[in-house]
Amino acid sequence: MKRFASDLLTVAWGVVQDALHRKVFYAVLAFTAILILLVPMLPSAEVGVQLDLAREAALGLVSIMAFVLAVILASTILPGEMGKRTIYNALSRPVSRKRYFLGKYLGILAVLAASLLVAYGVVLALVGVKFGVFSPGLAKALLAIFLEGALLAAVAMLASVHLSPVVCVLLTGLFYVVCHVKGDFLYRTMTDPGHPAVLRGLAGLFYYLLPNLERLNINETVAHGERVFRVGAPELLLLLGLAAAFAAVFLSLGAFLLERKDL
Amino acid sequence: MDTVLRVEDLHKSYPSRWGRPPRVALRGLELEVPRGGVVGLLGPNGAGKTTTLKAVMGLVRPDRGRISLFGSQGSDPRARSRVGFLPEQPYFELYLTPRKILRYYGRLSGMSEESIKARSAHLLNLVGLGEVGDLTMEKFSKGMLQRVGLAQALLAEPELLILDEPSTGLDPLGKIEVRDLLNDLRRSGVTVLLSSHQLSEIEEICDRVAVISEGRNVASGALDELLRSRDEFLVRLAAPPPAGREPDLPPPAAWADDRTGVVVPREALGTVLRRLLDAGLEVEGVGPRRMSLEEFFLERVGRSGGDGK
Repeated sequence: MKRFASDLLTVAWGVVQDALHRKVFYAVLAFTAILILLVPMLPSAEVGVQLDLAREAALGLVSIMAFVLAVILASTILPGEMGKRTIYNALSRPVSRKRYFLGKYLGILAVLAASLLVAYGVVLALVGVKFGVFSPGLAKALLAIFLEGALLAAVAMLASVHLSPVVCVLLTGLFYVVCHVKGDFLYRTMTDPGHPAVLRGLAGLFYYLLPNLERLNINETVAHGERVFRVGAPELLLLLGLAAAFAAVFLSLGAFLLERKDL
Repeated sequence: MDTVLRVEDLHKSYPSRWGRPPRVALRGLELEVPRGGVVGLLGPNGAGKTTTLKAVMGLVRPDRGRISLFGSQGSDPRARSRVGFLPEQPYFELYLTPRKILRYYGRLSGMSEESIKARSAHLLNLVGLGEVGDLTMEKFSKGMLQRVGLAQALLAEPELLILDEPSTGLDPLGKIEVRDLLNDLRRSGVTVLLSSHQLSEIEEICDRVAVISEGRNVASGALDELLRSRDEFLVRLAAPPPAGREPDLPPPAAWADDRTGVVVPREALGTVLRRLLDAGLEVEGVGPRRMSLEEFFLERVGRSGGDGK
């Protein structure tokens, strides 16, 4: 068990170091921070909801940053290692491919968590300085963003075992869009008797197979102070369970494919 | 004989795209590496050397066959804890320093921080990188990266060292250093399996060779035995014959380069011996001729070189 944890941490730390040496990491972070700080310059809505709108816009920017970082890292790490053949040096050690794969994923999660912490600090600073309000409750939205980023990273890592980084990014983007519209578009297609049976069947298949990522989007609720719907511990645990279950499925599949891949 | 690595009936093919037939890399390869000594895996480009080593290290999945590493299934990661591996043209994350990369691999090998530190310092000096151990590898030459590769392969004090083309990218001095290093390792009881298409390297370093071509064994065994010709003899003379007093030799018997010996086919041995003695030359001995590895290789693999096609 100690060896297992040590291997995971070693591989994960390698990912963190790798991310810290990528210019794109700093560029995305800096760009997001600048945009968040520019949020108060957006055309103001009526007085009284300015704070809510600023928080919502900031959380939206943080979401984009998190998803971009998670998908870029997850889509490029394995193909990069396979392309440069640095993976040979690591996998010729007594480390199983499953462990290696999981370690890489944990590293991405660590980078994602650290980036979200930085972004959280920037959003808190903005809200505190501009509106004189301390909004620790935004952490709930950041947790949901983290969970969605983690899920997207798992999808991108699964795809990256056999596909190029560009295709991984495109596929994960498609996954993101489909999983966000599934509750509406897929459900309507599936239940509308006017559509052909094959289309309804496909819509139904995707509806039940794919996670509903809209459930992880609580930015609006949290930004508006949870006045309509309160996000408590049970809701957060449910979101955690949803993300963890789907991530586990995608990671298991990815590890299975990597195990069988010729390097 | 204690065997550290045994490969039996190994088959491997790589799928091709667009409906083309798969590329067959190994067709029933057999390989045995006894404990101690240096074994050379020799073959032309595309013969299947790298695929064999990658299969042993679990980097490619054989279609069928068996790999036994220290008595365990080759695919078992634990079996690799006793093996060091240098891939062909090793590459590293260049923003790291050699010392940091060794630390990373040391941790993955389950070594303690103290032993990683001590081994890294020792190995960086051994491969001639002691002075640059704390510099990032961005400006390292191919030869320097090869040296880092050697250091990482030796890090966990392996019992079996597997080297894929270890001299690639090294300058002549580097090649000599690698040869000396391998000789030192042999003396300390480490078993080495190295793949190369450089015949001189194999001949200088290896005790045993396995020659493969088109994914199959064409010869394997102790180098001395393999190179001992069964059809030709070398008649050694005490001194070269005085100029103008050389006896006529029946073709295809021929004088050796230094003229202190005659290379004779088996059927002409009696005639040649008589003529040498009749000419008053002192025969010191007669024995099977030792072929050069190049001759042996060409005889077994052919000039086409296989190329796996």
